[in-house]
Amino acid sequence: MKKIISLLLVFTFGLSSCEKDDICDANTPTTPRLVISFYDINDPSKLRNVNNLMVIGQGKTEGIIFNKSVTDTTKYVTNASTVSVPLRTDTISTTYKFVYNSLSPNPAAINIDVLKIDYTHQNVYVSRACGFKTTFTLAPVNPFVRTDPDGDGNWMQEIFVKTRNIESENETHLEVYF
Amino acid sequence: MFLGHTQETSTKTVTKEKPKTETAKPALEEVKKDSIKTDRYGLRVGVDLYKLTRGLYDKDYKGIEIVGDFRLTKKYFIAAELGFEDKTTDDDRLNSTATGTYIKGGFDYNLYQNWLDMENLITIGLRGGFSTFSQQLNSYKIYNANPYWGEQPPVAAGQKYTGLTAGWLEVAMGLKAKVFNNVFVGFGVQLKMLVANSKPSGFDNLYIPGFNRTYDGSFGVGFNYTVSYFIPLYKKKTIIPQIIETPKN
Repeated sequence: MKKIISLLLVFTFGLSSCEKDDICDANTPTTPRLVISFYDINDPSKLRNVNNLMVIGQGKTEGIIFNKSVTDTTKYVTNASTVSVPLRTDTISTTYKFVYNSLSPNPAAINIDVLKIDYTHQNVYVSRACGFKTTFTLAPVNPFVRTDPDGDGNWMQEIFVKTRNIESENETHLEVYF
Repeated sequence: MFLGHTQETSTKTVTKEKPKTETAKPALEEVKKDSIKTDRYGLRVGVDLYKLTRGLYDKDYKGIEIVGDFRLTKKYFIAAELGFEDKTTDDDRLNSTATGTYIKGGFDYNLYQNWLDMENLITIGLRGGFSTFSQQLNSYKIYNANPYWGEQPPVAAGQKYTGLTAGWLEVAMGLKAKVFNNVFVGFGVQLKMLVANSKPSGFDNLYIPGFNRTYDGSFGVGFNYTVSYFIPLYKKKTIIPQIIETPKN
């Protein structure tokens, strides 16, 4: 009898000890970023790599880190044909500065375009471990506003909305031609 | 022949005298008495002390469970539990409160071989459970793998999901010991499997009264610590097949 009691006690405490196993799996789709793909304006079917593009949020001094493996300023730049930028979940618009040729020593070669993205957002339940995620819907009218603060012309020549509902990072939401 | 007869009688007297000195006769009578055992049948009702006392030290929990069983046969008992729970679950990213009642019914089988007039139980049983409850999402956090704009504070929701139901099966292992008179103290562990679960749209049942915490699959566990009172209703005599006992002296 005593043996059984102790066995049952061990069994219950064993089970209670494995209750805190709630870690949100990194592969779980949570709050998506805005995925922007860059295309060649002369050959619209072809993806085009950007050159040392730095993306800085409005009111921020540091850009989005694209390369986590390096420690110098090159971690803020990307040379890919796609960038993913996080949208603010507490407001209905996010503004980013897109700095082209950001590492160039010649200031004239640096071209800054500002993109203000307007959207609505909703919170969606994911799981106990992950909590909720926010998904976005680009505004039906004027989902983005492009400005040119340095007055040297827009390097982003054409921008199109590809996917209005931002629910996953596996798709392109904005297409930029340059 | 006469000689042989006297020999026979003499041996008879010897055998007659021998049991007298060894007092084998009273021992035999005792065995006869024990072979007829009276089993008490009745209703046992009790309360889960774990749930009842948890409310005293855990501000996020209020609950009560009434347990009962009725002896059907020598080994089988009809068993049921009735309960109410109000539990606030504070996870890392979610805070929710589940409130509701549940009923569980099934049977217990006593594995324990009682001797003399003992009435202890080591049982294994099956139950079907059903709960109707509501859930309130108190607050939540948004998971953002890229917190460039900073981590957002928890969002207060206060949204209530009512009319939720869940059903499950459970294997219950328990033991009950008679401590004095008709009072029993018991301890039980249940392994549960969710078979029906009406989830609210846009949320999940994180805690089901009676089933307890839900895991990713349909698995659940529970335990109780009961104090119960046995109300004897009638007695049944059972005749135990003759047990060969060797006299102790």
